[in-house]
Order: sequence, then structure tokens, then C-alpha cells
Amino acid sequence: MGEQATLSFNHDVRPILSENCFQCHGPDAATREADLRLDIQEEAFKDRDGSIAIVPGNLEESLLVWMIESDDAEDLMPPPDSNKSLSDEEKQILSRWIEEGATYEKHWAFTRPEKSEPAVDSPSPIDGFIKARLQEDGLELSPAADPKTWLRRAALDLTGIPPTVDDYRRFESAVREHGESAFEIEVDRLLASSRYGERMAVDWMDAARYADTHGFNNDSERSMWRWRDWVIEAFNRNLPYDQFIIEQLAGDLLPNPTLDQLIATGFNRNHVISSEGGIIEEEYRVEYVADRVRTVGMVWMGLTTECARCHDHKFDDFSQEDYYRLYGFFNSMVELGEDGRVANAYPTIPSPTLKQQRRMIELEARFAAAAHEKAAVLNRADTAESSGLSLADYGQQVAAATPQPVWKVSSSTQFTEAAYGSPDESGPFIPGVVGYALRSGPSNGAGSIAKGNISVDKETHAFTLAFWIRPDESVASEVPLFSNAQFEREPSSTRYGVGWDIRLSQGEIELSVAQRYPGYSMISRTRNAAIDESEWRHIAIRFKGKADDPYDHTPSSNFSIFVDGEERRLETRYDGLLLPPEVKAFESYLGSDLRIQGALYTGLLDEIQQFDRSLSDDQVLALFRSEALPYLMAKQTASDLSESERQWLVAIVLDQKADSEWLAARDAYREVRGELLVLDRSIPTTMISQDREQVRETFVLNRGHYASPGKKVEPGVPEDLIAPWPENAPLNRLGLAEWLTSDANPLTARVVVNRFWQHLFGVGLVKTSEDFGVQSEFPSHPELLDWLAVDFRESGWDVKRLLKGIVLSRTYRQQSRVFPELLAMDPENRLLARGPRFRLPAETIRDQALALSGKLVEQIGGPSVWPYQPEGIFEPIVVYANYPGTDWLQSEGDDLYRRSLYTYWKRTVPYPSLATFDAPEREVCSVQRSRTNTPLQALVTMNDPTFVEASLAMAQSLLDIETVPFDQRVREAYLTATGRWPEASETNILLAAYNDALDSFQKDPSAIESFLKSGGFERENEEPSPELAASALLMSLILNLDETLTKG
Amino acid sequence: MYCSKFNSSSSRREFLSRMAYGLGTAALGSIFAKNGYAADSLKYMATSEPKAKRVIFLFQSGGPSHLDLFDPKPEMASRFGQDIPESIFGGQRVTGMVSDQDRFLVVPSKYKFNRAGECGIELSEMLPWTQTIADEICLIRSVHSEAINHDPAITFMQTGSQLPGRPSMGSWVDYGLGSENENLPAFVVMNSVPSEAVAGQGLLSRLWSSGFLPGKHQGVQFRGGKEPVLFLANPSGIDDGRRRDYLDHLGSLNRKSFEKFGDPEIETRIAQYEMAYRMQTSVPDLADLSDEPESMYELYGDEARKPGTFAANCLMARRLAERGVRFIQLYQRGWDHHGGLHNRLPVLARDTDRPSAALVKDLKARGLLDDTLVIWGGEFGRTPYGQGDVKPTEYGRDHHGRTFSMWMAGAGIKKGHVHGASDEFGFNIVENGVHVHDLQATILHQLGIDHERLTYRFQGRQYRLTDVHGHVVKDILA
Repeated sequence: MGEQATLSFNHDVRPILSENCFQCHGPDAATREADLRLDIQEEAFKDRDGSIAIVPGNLEESLLVWMIESDDAEDLMPPPDSNKSLSDEEKQILSRWIEEGATYEKHWAFTRPEKSEPAVDSPSPIDGFIKARLQEDGLELSPAADPKTWLRRAALDLTGIPPTVDDYRRFESAVREHGESAFEIEVDRLLASSRYGERMAVDWMDAARYADTHGFNNDSERSMWRWRDWVIEAFNRNLPYDQFIIEQLAGDLLPNPTLDQLIATGFNRNHVISSEGGIIEEEYRVEYVADRVRTVGMVWMGLTTECARCHDHKFDDFSQEDYYRLYGFFNSMVELGEDGRVANAYPTIPSPTLKQQRRMIELEARFAAAAHEKAAVLNRADTAESSGLSLADYGQQVAAATPQPVWKVSSSTQFTEAAYGSPDESGPFIPGVVGYALRSGPSNGAGSIAKGNISVDKETHAFTLAFWIRPDESVASEVPLFSNAQFEREPSSTRYGVGWDIRLSQGEIELSVAQRYPGYSMISRTRNAAIDESEWRHIAIRFKGKADDPYDHTPSSNFSIFVDGEERRLETRYDGLLLPPEVKAFESYLGSDLRIQGALYTGLLDEIQQFDRSLSDDQVLALFRSEALPYLMAKQTASDLSESERQWLVAIVLDQKADSEWLAARDAYREVRGELLVLDRSIPTTMISQDREQVRETFVLNRGHYASPGKKVEPGVPEDLIAPWPENAPLNRLGLAEWLTSDANPLTARVVVNRFWQHLFGVGLVKTSEDFGVQSEFPSHPELLDWLAVDFRESGWDVKRLLKGIVLSRTYRQQSRVFPELLAMDPENRLLARGPRFRLPAETIRDQALALSGKLVEQIGGPSVWPYQPEGIFEPIVVYANYPGTDWLQSEGDDLYRRSLYTYWKRTVPYPSLATFDAPEREVCSVQRSRTNTPLQALVTMNDPTFVEASLAMAQSLLDIETVPFDQRVREAYLTATGRWPEASETNILLAAYNDALDSFQKDPSAIESFLKSGGFERENEEPSPELAASALLMSLILNLDETLTKG
Repeated sequence: MYCSKFNSSSSRREFLSRMAYGLGTAALGSIFAKNGYAADSLKYMATSEPKAKRVIFLFQSGGPSHLDLFDPKPEMASRFGQDIPESIFGGQRVTGMVSDQDRFLVVPSKYKFNRAGECGIELSEMLPWTQTIADEICLIRSVHSEAINHDPAITFMQTGSQLPGRPSMGSWVDYGLGSENENLPAFVVMNSVPSEAVAGQGLLSRLWSSGFLPGKHQGVQFRGGKEPVLFLANPSGIDDGRRRDYLDHLGSLNRKSFEKFGDPEIETRIAQYEMAYRMQTSVPDLADLSDEPESMYELYGDEARKPGTFAANCLMARRLAERGVRFIQLYQRGWDHHGGLHNRLPVLARDTDRPSAALVKDLKARGLLDDTLVIWGGEFGRTPYGQGDVKPTEYGRDHHGRTFSMWMAGAGIKKGHVHGASDEFGFNIVENGVHVHDLQATILHQLGIDHERLTYRFQGRQYRLTDVHGHVVKDILA
């Protein structure tokens, strides 16, 4: 490449110094030799005891020159045992640079990008920069590709789905008619397609390490598809990229964040999470924080931050302290080290889809109306109406419908001393709902139930617990009602907090059940139960039994809380309980618990009882009424009914009368409540970012070790190296996001546009797209990179505009033909004297086959799907336990044919056909895939049932079009697969392949039959025809052409 | 980088582009020398003569108890139920599974140890077959790991780092040396199915992942049953004749594309389709054990007749070794005996003992042991104290990485030799500790690779299997 007038420090010199010298004479003070730094001008020029490493313009006096040229192994630099050595050319460059004055420059990536004019004039500055560089080597752009070639290239890059025959025809005629503008219209059409977001999401899912499982050796399931769908949607609505950063990094810290902004923060939670029993929590929590630093460093800063986790960075001026200051932004997130064994890891939120949100609004409105109507009927009814009826009979009837409990504490006098502690000093004889009540006092609660008493259904572990409460006016806002949770254990123990815990919390009933608190637990509470002081309320807790589906994603859906005989809607905070939970093993405390701190329940309890089965809704209601009725009647007689008690009584009376107006109102109310409960339970949860109320202090961790804290540091960024902290930015993740997206930040826009360039051209302008530090590769076109970065930022971080500009450039539109001379000169096509040509990404290869076959089912978003996977892929690898995500639950119907980005991604056993085409495991952030060419890939596209079935379906539709001659149909199939018409000689080969197969199948009818049964293919015509089999083999051949598998 | 998976067909272009872009010089070995070793000038080669051409790693996942298998501690016998002395324990960190345990009580092994072979190495009665190869193995009683839980420990052993993201040992070797056989992958992985349903920790594809190395160095899983390599079999109804016709036409069309586009990648693709076709024959041949004589089942045991068992995989490992596969990685799960050790350990010992010994004998009989390195061991050992309730006949042991045992055989490793020693509780090392990175350095050294020079540039720095650590354990080399 061209001879320069003078050497550039950044381009020519720094890479040599960095690779060979900085390890010992660079930023890391701990390993610095001879107290010499060569990365800073003043230090390199300093006189140390009469010798100077670099004397500008003076080779004789420069010690560096002498040492790199030394013949003596003792003196030679770099030392032979460092495994580093300088080539003669490198030595010459260093010498020449010193001769030329040894000018230092700030590393290019840390200087602010500026827009410059390309040296060659061109309508698109992109082409201007590219042409200018080509001219230096006497080259020029290749001719423009055929419009069809461009269309396929752009469609695959921007939507991941190839054009149809009609698309090609339409576009070609548009080009003939409108010329240049047809291209622009076409790009706009592609960018407006919702397929665009799906295609763009794939690369971001790699970078953001998205998966459907938690990783590590249990690798059980998580549910983060709401985040994935947010990404698709963000690209589709062209969310400005600065917002894309801000919402993912810190959506939770925005004022009044929307549900979508909270979902976006799942970005910080996509990392792997361990649920291996016995790990040390803090060790892993530290890893999660480090993972976030690594990811943000790689995707938006282009810095290999983790190099400074254990020591100062060897190459970049990024110290260990800088690392932990960055770490400080992520160190205060709420999370647990061990979590996610059966579901999402804390913290999570319910994240209804748009459809569910609409349904929720509709149902809630209907529910309010039904409740209003029901109350109106009850209000109109008079309790006096009951006088003619035999409520006593009704009471008996209800009582008969009520099952017998395993045990019951109905007053303090009935329970033995051994099982139940002595009552509070205020005496046992307080009237209850039935008989006498139990009093729970501030110092002792109300005693306990010995563990032997509790029993559950032997098979399903189902049970129901019921009791009445009447809190004192003085009751604290958070008190235990019934608890056997083992909070007296060590918090580090794998059994900490195991058990049940039912609390009264701000007027709501809160149920928490744990195997280990809080990682493997569920915590649900009622909404709007409004339990007031000094009123009797009936509470029932029901566990319906071990889930029918062992892979239950929401364990909480197996629990119900009833208040006054009516099942309540719940709000669930944690949902990671492994079913069935334990309950029998522990002594259970009434009105108190095993926590060290916290107020006890002050108030009354009555009719505490437990059933070894799951009571039906009707039975719970009957239980409530059977106990309430005598009490209500007595109070009615005394004219002492409260408003709610009056309503209970009226409801019983109207039920008894089978009052038609009432029954209609009641049933309408029940129905819509039932629908709401179903809807509540179907709402997916998603993991989000949330900061602790109290900032967690951050310390430098010596050698990166979680248990070796050193100096305390405050969150912060390397301001001198990169950019100043924006004025008034908060010192948290939101501030960090503002800093990343500030105009002064030289890195973010460069790093981002470089990745989009990589998406389109296969290689970034900076090849090391994950590293822009001093060890990175110097950009192939630095001015172009800077122009793109500034233009991108100035456009308001408009991604679609950026892509459109590139895709319409002459550079992108070139033919991709490779000439031998050029190949020798520029094997990786870095100079772009030809268009991009490389193998399609894994997802696109599969999606293209599905699209060509007509099998593709396009439906945006939703839970991940389980397409064909050979048997026995999971078994030899996954953990021997029934955690969700340990079986491949092959989908049926449409879900077999969804786009590949929706394929269930299990990190420890990634989907084989995608992994074979270099899809990464997604255990860590990855911004570049390798692009290999292997025989295993050939086996996938020839033999994987997805591809076989696609060939069969293509053949079926090929044969169905009878109006077009067969060879024309074959030519069309070739066109849709490759983007060009086959030449005559190629058509001949295609037809020969067909005829050979036809001959062969005609001689072997049984082969036809078995071939046509491959995959899940369902034949439409009755007879297995040799034509169909032969066509299918031909279609398979087309799917396996190099040009089909390649973007050319 | 675009190049063929099974390297010998790598193009000159690859070579040129590597030179031009300085991406590292590894895998040149396979370009220059199909059946031997790379040219001496290659930077990463050790100065010494390579002893091993290939490695068979019999990985025992879960953490086999060194105290019950390899490292007799007669001093513990009289101390059942006593506290581990503080001088031994020394405030070491323990796993969360025992962190609320107040006391750590000694549980001596109930198994007898016998002096085996002429060398007289003491081995547990649980390993009667291993006793018969005592004179072939070098037993290391002082391996130590930094990790105390499965996931990080197994990842550490296989990739040199406790955290995900690094290439596995087999991928490094594949990258460094390539394949000896152009019809088979250089790095093959076989996961065994235990004979009884025993709780097993999950394995992870990262254990055979190429990490940041090019994806072609990924380990290829060989499975039991009729399709040893995924998607190897043609769809039903497509016989060899139809496939051959198909590939001929496909090749013709791809050559047309090459004329049109001139992209050498197209030539590579044509070659890879032919390679896939050859694998369709070579792999089933390899996996078809019907040509093994009855004597082999007498050696490996009847279990070797069942595809997918550890015994069958050991026999397969020998067949792969014969065909020049460079790195053969077996996994056996189920060694994680936190409780019920006496019911569970014998099952695992029975599954693995005989086939492991048989493999060594078989390799020796065929003259392959001289240049095949066999390694046996897991991610860590187990504690001398019991986990949870301790009864004389019923206890389990927790994870223990401070010292544990492994053995190696063949390829220039000392025979009938014991290296290193642990204290009287098998808790700490008292002599010649071998860190996981030392073990890795030694394995590479035997393959003729200097572990400090087999590097790959990623994210601006040179990475290697042993990170910045590791010393070749010279004392175990013959």
C-alpha cells in the first residue's frame, strides 16, 4: 500500500510499541520495568541518569534504538524470553519515526471524530472516501451489480428474507421506469417491513447475550422474550440509538418509566446466572456486575475493560481503579448470586404484551361495572327479606358441604398445651366468630402448631389453610399471621428461609413460600383486599397441588388466596419456587415467626384449620359462610351488623332465594373475575434492572477477587481518557448512559456505526469491532468512520437513515466478483474494490429455506419456539433434574416454521443446526461471529428435517403451478434462491439433475414413499409421484448451492 | 477466516491471509504436514521432541473421591466422627452446602487399598481393573484447582478459566496441530450414559467450544446409535447413488458459480460437500463395532456392546485414536457424591474402572500407547469430612479442590509412578502440587507445544490455554 510522506504515530508506530513494549513499559504500574513508560511522550523523552529512551531526531542518542538493535541477548529489547520480537521492518519504522521527530499522537479512537470532505468528489461521501482510498492503490470500484443482485443483498441484510419472483419483477420494471429512485423506494420498503426489526435483533441478541435459559450447569429456563420483542420493536419504530442505549442501560431510572422502558433494562440482566447449590453468593454477584462492565465496554465503548479487572490495563490508559469506578455503576443493582433455578431471577415484573394490556383494560372495566352492579343489588335488597327463610337450615346445608379439617384451633380451650402455647395474659375468653377467639400479643404471638399436625395430600401435596383474623387498631403495618419459614438459619445456607410465611402487610395478605429465601421462593400478595382493623375477615390459602406441568413457568399460579370466601387477584413479586413446597417439616407459629426482627401480630385469630387437600372454590365459600352465618344472624338480631357483614348476609339470603336479578349480577361478577384471574396468571414476567435504595459501596477488588476488597471508589468514568462527565448527570446508570451518548464521547458513535458497517460488509472499518483501544486494528478508512459517526450522531442517532445511506452507496452496490490480482492484494476486501460476498448468517440460512418453501410462519414475537431437533441432543448433556428447560419440547404446527431468532436458545446445548453455522452460545457478549465453511454445515442443509421438508414443500408448489412450463418453474426457483436467472448451461444441469433423480426414483417406488415422508411434510396429492420426489431433490440441491448460502 | 474444517485441504489463500494479517501461525502444522508435526520454525512448538500425537481425556464429571479411590489415608481410620483439626482446615472456604454446618467430622474411607503391580501403587479395592495397569500409569495425588463448585471447576479444567468464553483444551490442540486424518474431525467429544440413573451435573457445550477461536475448532460430538454425527444420514429414500448424482450436479453448478465469481470460498465449499460425503462412509465405518473380535468385549466388558456407555465410548476412543483423531474427550457423569457415597460410588467405579484399564491395555497392545496420552480424572476431589448427618455406613462428601488425584498414561509419562502427596487427611498438599494450569501445560508439552507460545489474539491481547500461569511438570516425564 502507498508510501507515506511521514509516518503516522497512530497508524504506523503505536501498534508496534503497543504489541512489543507496553506490557512492561506501558500503563500498568505494577509490571513496569525500569520505571520507563513509552506510551507517554514526556516519559519516553525523560533523561534518566544520562540515558534517554527517545531523543527526537537523534538515533544515536536514543537508547531505544540501541536496545532494539542489540546483538547481545542481555540487552536486546524486547527480551527474547518475552516471546515478542521486532521484525526488521518494524525496527526501521521505529527508527524512521524517531528521525522524523518522534511525534506522539493521542490514540485515534479517543479523539473526537470530525467530519471531513472526501478527497474524491461523489454524490455519496461514503463512495468518496472509499474511492479516494482505492485510488491510492490505483484501484477503482467494480461495476454496479445487477439490480436483482442488489435487491437480494439488501433484502437479506435488512430483513433476512429473500425477495420473491414478483419482487424481482416489480423492482426490475421500477428500475427501468424510474431509474435511481427505484432503489430508494425499495430500501424504504425494506426498512418499513417489520421483518427489518427481526433481522436487526439477531446481532443485538448476540451482543446482549440473550438466551432462554440461565446458563451454567443447571441452565434452567428464564423468560426474557419480552426484552427480545422490545428490541425488535425498537428497531422497527427506529428508536433513536441514543435512546436505545439509555433505555436498556437505565430505563428504570428515567422519570416515571413506562413498562417498555422497564422491559428494556432486561439488557443488564441477560447475563448468565448460576443456580448451582452451594456457590458463594457474593462470588457470583460480583461476576454478574463484571459481566455488565464487560458487555457495556464491548458494545458501546469498544474497550476491553475486563483487562483492568485484576490489574491496570496493559495497553490502554485504563487503570484498575477506572475499572472499579465503572463497575460501581452496576454494583448497586438488586440481585442474588444464586438464583433462577426454576424461573426468572429476582427482580422481575409482570410484563403483559400489548394485547394483554388491552384485554386487561377491557376486563378491569367490565369487572368494575360488574362489582358495581353486584353491590347495587345487595344494597337494594333488605336483610329483612330473610325473615321468612330458614337460615338455620341453610347453615346446616352449607356446613354439610364443608369438608373436615385435619386439625382445627377453634378456641384456646380446645387445643392441647403441647401443641399450642399458652394464651396471652389478656385471657382466653374473647368471643370469636365461632365460640372464643385466640389472642395474639405483641411479645409472644399466639403459640404454635407442632410439625406433626400438619399433613398434605399424599400424592399431590395439595392443602388448604383457613383462619379468621381481626387485627387490633394498634396492629403494625407488617406482621406475621402464620409462619414456619426457617429464618433462623444462616443466610448463606442452602435452606435459609425454607417454609411458609403468611403475613398481613398494609392491609393485604402476603403469602411467601420458599425452598431458599428469596432465590427459590414465590411471594404473592392480594390486591385491594383492604383488611381493616377491628373487623373479622376470613382468609384461606390454597395450594392446588404439584403442578400438572412439571415445567410450570409460574409456580405461583398453583396458589390461591381467598378473602371472605372469594379468590383474590394477586400480585407476584418472586416466582422461583420448585414445586411441591415443603410444609410438614416445621413447627408453625401463629401471629409470630422466626425472624429476628419485626413486629408480631396483635389481634384475634379464630377457626384456624388445615385440610389435606385442595378445597374447591365452592367449598371455601361454604366454609366461610358456615362459620359466618350463626355469627351474622346473632349480630343481625342485635342490629349490630357492619356494612360488609350486612352484604355477606344479604348475599346468602339472595343465594338462598335464587333471586334472578341477584344471580345474574353475581354470576356476571364471578365470570369476569375468573377471566381476570386467568389473564393475571398468563402474564409473562421479565427480569429488570433495579437499584437498591442504599448504594452498595464499591471497592477495588485485589486480583479481581470478590473477597479481597481494597481501596473504596466512587462510580465514575475515565474522563481524561475518553470524555468529561456531562454536567448535572446523576451518578448512576442513567448518568453513564448520558455520558455514553454525549456529543463529547468519541467512542460510542464510532463503535456503533462500525458494527452496522460490519453487518453489511462482513468486516468493520475497524476490524476488531469489539476493541477500539490501542491494541485495535487501525481503521481501514478512518475519515469515513469519523464521517459516519458524526453524521449518525447529528442525524439524531437515526439507524434506518444510516443503513439506507450505506445500502444505496455505489460501494455497496458493486458486483462481488473476485479477481485473482485483487484477491492477492486485498484478500479480505478491506479496500472494497468489490461488493460484499460472504456466507449468510445461521438464522438467515434457515429462514431463507423456510421462506422459499412457503412454510415460513411470520408472527412477530412471543415465547420462544421449539422447531425440529433430533432426539437425544439434550439428554447426554443437561442436568439430571426436572428443572424447566431440561427437555426439548418440540413445537407443533406453526411454531415449527417461525423465524430462527425465536428458536429456544439453551446456552449449554445451543440449537445444533444454528450452532453449526457459527451462532454463538451466548454465554458472554459477542459482537462478531466466525464464518466457517465446514462439512458439518453441508450435512445440515442436506439432511436436517427442516431443510428436507422445505425442499419437499418447494417441490409441491413447483408442481402445482401447471400454467408455466416446468423448466421455467425451475428457473424461477433458482432465481428466488440466488437472485439471478440461471444461464442456459446451468438450466441444463438443473434439468439433468432432475432427470437423473426422476429415473432413479421411477425404478425404486419404495424410495419415493419413504423420501416423501421425511420431516413433517404432508403431501397434498394422494399418489407418491416420482416427479415430486425428484423435484424435491432438485429443490434441496438449489438450497445447497453456494450462491444460495451466500450473500453475493 | 474461511477454511476447511478438517484442515489438510486448507487453501493457500488461508495461509496467505494469515501471513498478511498476522492472525497467528497456528494450524499451519496441518497445512504443511499431514501426518507428522509442523515445521520446526513454528513459534509455538516446544523445543523438545513431541511424545504424544493425540490425547484421550477420560473426564469424570462430578468430582470422584480421591480418598476412596486413589489416596489412602490410614491415619483417618481411627478418627471417625472427630473434628478435622483446625491446623488442617485452616479457615478454608467451604461451599454453601455445608456453610451452616457447625462441625466438620472426619469420615475415613471404608474401602481397602491394595498395593498394585510391581511398582506397588496403592489403589482402592473399588478399582480392581485399574490395579492391573498400575505399572503403566503415573498417579498424581496433588492436583489442585481454584474452584469449589462444578461449573467453574469443570470449566477451569477444560478451558483454563473458571468463567465462560475461552476455547476448550481440545480446540486449542485442534487449532495448534490440526487433524491427522482428513476424513475425520480433529476433536471428538463423547458423552457417556451411566448404567444406572445417577444424579449428574449438567455438562456444557462450552467444554468443547472453540470460544474465540474460529468455529471450526469446535469439538464434534459423536453420539451413540446409528447417527454418530448429527445429520450424517441422508433422508430416507436417498441412497448413495442418488446422493452421488446430486453432489455431482451440485458440484457442477458450484463450479459455474466459481467461474462467475472467482471466490475461492466456493472451491472450499465444493470440497466440504465432498468431505461430508466421505464422512457419510467413514464415520459409520468407524462407529460400527461389528468388526471388533469377541476378545475386545472380554477386555472392555459386556457394557461395551451398548452404544453410548462409557465402555463403548472407550472402545470408540481407541478406534478414533487408531484413525488419527487428535483430541478425544470422553465425559462420564455421576461422581457428585454429597450423600449415599457407598451406594453411588461403586456404580460409577464399575462403569469406568474396567473400560479405562482396558483402553490402556488395548492401546499398548497395538503400540499406540507410546504416542497417545490418556488422562483420567474430574474437576476436583472430595472432602475428608462428611456433609450433613454422618453415620458410619451412610455419609457423603462435599467438593474439595485443595488436592485431588488424577492419573495419566502413555506418551512419555513416567510409568508406575506416584507424584505429589497430600496430608494425612487428604486435605492439603504437602508435596509437589500440580495446579490445573500445570497439568494443561504438561499435556500441551507432551504434544510438542509450548503452552506459552500457543496463543490467539482476541480483544487486543494474546490469549492462551494456561492464561499467564502454568509450568510443565517435568518430574512426571519419563
